Amino acid sequence: MDEVIDDCLEIFTQDGVLLKQAAANYMTFINTIGTLYVTECPSSNRQRFIEWRPNDVTIDSDIQDQEWAVVNTIQKRTRTLSGNFPPDYHNRIKSVKCSFNEIKSFRMANKSRQLSFHDGKSECICSFIFQHGNCELLVGILKSLLKTAPSRRDKHLFIVYDSNNLELQQLDRSFAELNLQSDAHTFWGMFKNIREHPYEATFEAFAKVTDYVNKSLEQPPDDDQRDDLNKSITEYENTTIHSQGDYEVIAKVPELPKRKDFPRLRPLTAEQWKGHMNLDGKIEDIESIKTLIFRGGVTPSLRQEVWKFLLDYYPWESTEAERQKLMTIKSDEYYNMKLQWKRMTKTQEDNFSDYRDRKSLIEKDVNRTDRNLDFYAGDNNSNLQMLNDILMTYIMYNFDLGYVQGMSDLLSPILLLLKNEVESFWCFIRSRNFDVDQAGMKEQLNNLHTLLSFVDPPIATYLDTHDSGNMFFCFRWLLVWFKRELSQEDVMRFWEVLWTGYPCENFHLLVCVAILETEKSTIIENNYGFTKF
Amino acid sequence: MSSSRKKVLLKVIILGESSVGKTSLMNQYVNRKFSNQYKATIGADFLTKEVTVDDRTVTMQIWDTAGQERFQSLGVAFYRGADCCVLVFDVTAPNTFKSLDSWRDEFLIQASPREPENFPFVLLGNKVDLEPRAISSKRAQQWCQSKNNIPYFETSAKEGLNVEQAFLAIAKNALAQQNSTFDLYNEFPDQIKLTNTQKPSSNGDSCAC
Repeated sequence: MDEVIDDCLEIFTQDGVLLKQAAANYMTFINTIGTLYVTECPSSNRQRFIEWRPNDVTIDSDIQDQEWAVVNTIQKRTRTLSGNFPPDYHNRIKSVKCSFNEIKSFRMANKSRQLSFHDGKSECICSFIFQHGNCELLVGILKSLLKTAPSRRDKHLFIVYDSNNLELQQLDRSFAELNLQSDAHTFWGMFKNIREHPYEATFEAFAKVTDYVNKSLEQPPDDDQRDDLNKSITEYENTTIHSQGDYEVIAKVPELPKRKDFPRLRPLTAEQWKGHMNLDGKIEDIESIKTLIFRGGVTPSLRQEVWKFLLDYYPWESTEAERQKLMTIKSDEYYNMKLQWKRMTKTQEDNFSDYRDRKSLIEKDVNRTDRNLDFYAGDNNSNLQMLNDILMTYIMYNFDLGYVQGMSDLLSPILLLLKNEVESFWCFIRSRNFDVDQAGMKEQLNNLHTLLSFVDPPIATYLDTHDSGNMFFCFRWLLVWFKRELSQEDVMRFWEVLWTGYPCENFHLLVCVAILETEKSTIIENNYGFTKF
Repeated sequence: MSSSRKKVLLKVIILGESSVGKTSLMNQYVNRKFSNQYKATIGADFLTKEVTVDDRTVTMQIWDTAGQERFQSLGVAFYRGADCCVLVFDVTAPNTFKSLDSWRDEFLIQASPREPENFPFVLLGNKVDLEPRAISSKRAQQWCQSKNNIPYFETSAKEGLNVEQAFLAIAKNALAQQNSTFDLYNEFPDQIKLTNTQKPSSNGDSCAC
């Protein structure tokens, strides 16, 4: 059970994980803190393991990575255990390890902080408490590596299906129908494509990188693809790396050909917009409209209408009549929710601390949101009241999430443009950047790091060695989509481009990569680190 | 001796409920400015200031954090290596005082300093320019005493009242903390620089080209 993991690839790493339950021979480790790994061992038939190591024998490197779960993709991390451990190390029990084959189900508990693995005979193999969170991230990874389905009785319990199981075959069929398993092929195909047509393929490739991370391990590349990859790796190996100060300079990097110019188009005009609608007011060619918006934005006077489509309030395929009908329904729905908090009595409020806390935080934040803009300036401004009421109604719409700081920033430009409470609410709810535990943000920051390592390895390495590999300094950029960094007009232009969903999802991550690449020399020359951004 | 020592960077973290004035205090101290239009802090921000403490010039790096509790899960990276933690509450808002314990505990858990019981905290009761007052000085001082005598200052970021004094105390505590941490190890002498630091003579410096 205790093999050395030298040749194993780490798919997931998380520190601050407490071992809560395990077989009797691991007694000494119970309630101690360590690091949890998901590993894959090519030498043992690509077998995967969950492995937990107590802190005192964890290798003291990569401190940075351990703070956040890092999904390691392209490079295999070469960690050797020898040398770092006392001589008798290999004779002692050093980790709790269980093969994926043993796992028949796993269950999240304790407000998503605890994860237990079961062997199907109602025995718990092991159980862990995630002191730094990220349990859900691991569950996501497990779900992508194992064929699972949530239990009908318990939504936190995931059943693992094995290959001899009839249910699995059914599941397989449904996967095949969804065509998900082709992702690994797609990635390698794209990789080849990138070499041949770098710019055309890159956008598409980026959109798939994270999928690749999760799924590719199931599917080794074919020979051609492997050759391509090897070639590329050899190129890297041939580069001369020398050290300057505490970062490495890679002198020769395979270069992409010159970038093609894509001039911005003029903003979408009212004529173009109307021209794309048929007599019923239905948009005929949605893709071409979105492309126009992506390439040029929207004329300011037309935004009021177009944003309602971009923000999924109006369905793109709807007719004018359908939209009128929708407005009535949505208006009723909104005011119903609004009444729910408006009608709350003082006693109810006094007995409802969660609600009270949210209400007071909204009040505080509304009072300090974009007050420099005329629209929100001055005391007793009715627009501030609307801002407040929409956020309060959002609490009733999604009480589990409630109010998260940053929401008022995202709502402000929408309300400023639409000047209508109901419409602004329905447009606002599309913003999905907020989670109770910031899991979505962590994932975005992780993905940003993955992209950066792919696009510009030197800057990624530089950040890693300057305590910035967690990409925290981009947190505000991502949470409110550059709202605090750009002018009002630029924010609007940028957001409408983002909302087209072109050229791929998570385009904003590419924007971050582009900024970091542009500022690369400034960052490196000034020796900027986490504490200097 | 002091001048030849390695440049000292003190890392200070400001924590407390939303809207107690963390950003305002930091800006009043570093820039001597107040605005009532500060926006809610997202993630974290920091400013630096050079200060002289006991004849030593040190750089204070002050980290201003988001007040909403759920952003605390990001704390680990921000709190790491802190030399002093400043807790802030609003003297007119009782709930901001009540939550001090949880801010302190959370900091100790996430930053996990070497000696939690001796880690320096400083408490600031802000907005003393406002009425009505909900938390008396006495009550705040009692809390401080119960936590191993945390220094307490009553401030107004708006009027700049006591802000300078408070941050000087913060700097002193941070410096003392850093020195005590260094004393745990054998302090190495300064590195010997092999480069020629002598300025070239003006003749050699100028060149006709």
